[in-house]
Amino acid sequence: MLLGALALFALLLAGWEGYWRAYGVVPGIRNTFGLWAIQRRRIDEGEGDATVLLGSSRTYFDLQLPVWQALAGRAPIQLSYEGTSPMTAVEDLAADPKFTGRLLIGVAPDLFFSGDGFALGVAKYAHKQSPAQRVGQWLSMRLIEPYFAFFDADYALRTVLARQPWPQRPGRHWFTDVRKLAIYEAGRNAHLWSKVETDPAYRDLARSIWAEGFVVYPGDPTPDEMLKSEKEQIERAKQAVAQLRARGVEVIFVRLPSDGPYLQYEERFYPRKRSWDGLLAATGVPGIYFADYPELRGFYLPEWSHMTQAEARRFTVAFYGVLQRELPKAQASHTGKQAVQH
Amino acid sequence: MVFNSLTFIVFFACVLGLHSLPLPWTVKKINLLIASYLFYSAWNPPFVILLWVSTVVDWYAAQGLVKARRQGTRHAWMLLSVIANLGMLGYFKYGEFLLDNFSALMNSIGVAYHPAHYDIVLPVGISFYTFATMSYTLDVYLRRAAPAKNLLDYALFVTFFPHLVAGPIMRPTELVPQFAEPRRASAQQLRFGLALMTLGLFNKVVLADSFLSGAAERVYDGARVPGALDAWAATLAFSGQIFCDFAGYSTTAIGAALCLGFAMPDNFRFPYAAVGFSDFWRRWHITLSSWLRDYLYIPLGGNRHGPHRTYAALMTTMLLGGLWHGANWTFVAWGGLHGIYLSGERLLRGRFAGYRPGPWAFFALGLLTYTLVNVTWVFFRAKTFTKAWVVLKGMAGQNGVTRPILPTFTLLSVAAIVGGILITHWFMRSRTLESVVARTPPLAVGVIWALMAFAIVIAQGDGSAFIYFQF
Repeated sequence: MLLGALALFALLLAGWEGYWRAYGVVPGIRNTFGLWAIQRRRIDEGEGDATVLLGSSRTYFDLQLPVWQALAGRAPIQLSYEGTSPMTAVEDLAADPKFTGRLLIGVAPDLFFSGDGFALGVAKYAHKQSPAQRVGQWLSMRLIEPYFAFFDADYALRTVLARQPWPQRPGRHWFTDVRKLAIYEAGRNAHLWSKVETDPAYRDLARSIWAEGFVVYPGDPTPDEMLKSEKEQIERAKQAVAQLRARGVEVIFVRLPSDGPYLQYEERFYPRKRSWDGLLAATGVPGIYFADYPELRGFYLPEWSHMTQAEARRFTVAFYGVLQRELPKAQASHTGKQAVQH
Repeated sequence: MVFNSLTFIVFFACVLGLHSLPLPWTVKKINLLIASYLFYSAWNPPFVILLWVSTVVDWYAAQGLVKARRQGTRHAWMLLSVIANLGMLGYFKYGEFLLDNFSALMNSIGVAYHPAHYDIVLPVGISFYTFATMSYTLDVYLRRAAPAKNLLDYALFVTFFPHLVAGPIMRPTELVPQFAEPRRASAQQLRFGLALMTLGLFNKVVLADSFLSGAAERVYDGARVPGALDAWAATLAFSGQIFCDFAGYSTTAIGAALCLGFAMPDNFRFPYAAVGFSDFWRRWHITLSSWLRDYLYIPLGGNRHGPHRTYAALMTTMLLGGLWHGANWTFVAWGGLHGIYLSGERLLRGRFAGYRPGPWAFFALGLLTYTLVNVTWVFFRAKTFTKAWVVLKGMAGQNGVTRPILPTFTLLSVAAIVGGILITHWFMRSRTLESVVARTPPLAVGVIWALMAFAIVIAQGDGSAFIYFQF
């Protein structure tokens, strides 16, 4: 009976794995809190002087660590998390005296100025991670993730069943969950999944999911509530940046490209003059806004929010060049502030 | 570490492999003891010290009890055990609660009292192992059991990893004698143990975590006001979640112990088919209810000193039982409601002693019991009384016009799973799992087993902790 059950189990599993591979999925590292914690620990274990990337999916998918490493000789620590405001992690770094390096904070307006996200607890998790969870992460990255394509949150049983076309209850809009967009690596380098680029139906699906968020539905935050939230996030950023700069950390805000209806939505709900300029004015640190630099414009974003892998490589080279030009401003603003304080 | 993790699978495979080696029995017991300490320290290594304190104090207290000639000395040894165990429990679990309530009381009478924040981490499973070790000393004190013959057997009884953090709450008389002789699972026991572990993990990973927890979270932890459908769906989902989570843990624990050749008592006996609340408590968290009966209700007088004392003992036991679950007044309310139900049932049984319900009335009484149990779950799940009232009002249809919270798929999955649980419990009401498995064709058992294992893997659980770990 045990052997029969095992055989049937293996058969079912092989079928499930085959199904997802036929869909185009390949085995890869999962982007988990445990994976984030591995990178976060590097700061506590002697790399506190490193450049750290914090932000949401654009900072995560569009900046390629191997390219950066080739240019700078040292790759930054990638602590961005998709679908999540970076502010909680910024505050976490601000409170950590071991971090003395350079911080690039990605600003995806709808996430940054709302403070929302599904992974806001990641920093807390990293600090409280138990030995068992660390071992589990280590084992999973070596025994499971490199071999099984189905082992991805987007293909979990409940997720797959929930996204079937069930009749919807009237009375509100039911948002579609964001689908798998990226491929992740062990060192938290990530890039847009090629399916988004090569499969028009999947690309259109990704676009339609973003587009649901461009419409205001009953029950959504009002303009006043959004403005209040924006001010709160700017205030949070101001305090955290002051704490970081007091320790000598160079901070730069970065606004990476978006395109098409996504960009229009962002400009409508988070106009640059109010949100981005307000953020820079309040924190007193420089920023890189993609539209201001010709070399950061004109990249292909299949679903309006993230670049293809090839474009991300090209973009990283261009971005690194811009950063090198803008860094002296960050250093000057820091020195200037110190001079004022003295 | 949690049972529903890759770490545990590797750990358990190593323990099983080590246990099947041809080593002396004492060496095997030492292996199990070390493995159990590893299992516990995988959460937070320093908390192993608490386990040692609890183990050593009760070991010496029991030794002292045996050697003591005077009743006063025996009392003193027993009190040492009770104070040490309840002291640890009080400090780690109830310290903040007591301090918050004391400050609130002081402030309410005009005394400005603002103590420093009580930042203490609750050690996993402390409520379980302190009760297990206390029962050892109390049994020796009450002369119900002889003390363990050696410290190794006793330490293993306290620490044995399958029951350590969330029960079943073992009595020394149930486990210590099993350590006396070499034990190794037969092929049949190993198969049944593995099948139980699969069933337990299916309950936890697939049903509780994947399909039920989300519905309860969206309503109980969200800011939106629920209508009747959402409030009922969330509460029913929680009733299924807590059963699948906790019974899933117990089943996995019993299965793990069986794979190593040890027997542990049932902790659940299809509780949602209970008819009446005394029946419910004979089926739900059986080892806790029997612990509370033996060490609290009966010492408080039980039913031997007239009705008033009986009701007082019943209410005290259930209120303290509620508080055992968590340092929050909502848990006390949960226990209090069960106390009222049990008292009400006792009263009615006295008044209608000759009543024997027909099959439909019996079923209706079962449904009434389940419905009233669901009302108590509202207080158990809600973090505040305000939230509990909002959900209760929703269940009563008193929240006016509300926007839907749960999508159709969630409603359907809750209905299917909770409906399935109820049907299963009623079908299994007077049966045992062993007897049903024995009567089912092996082919069907194998297919069900494979399907459950497959569902566990493709559900991709996130290794979330069992609900009862926090108690």
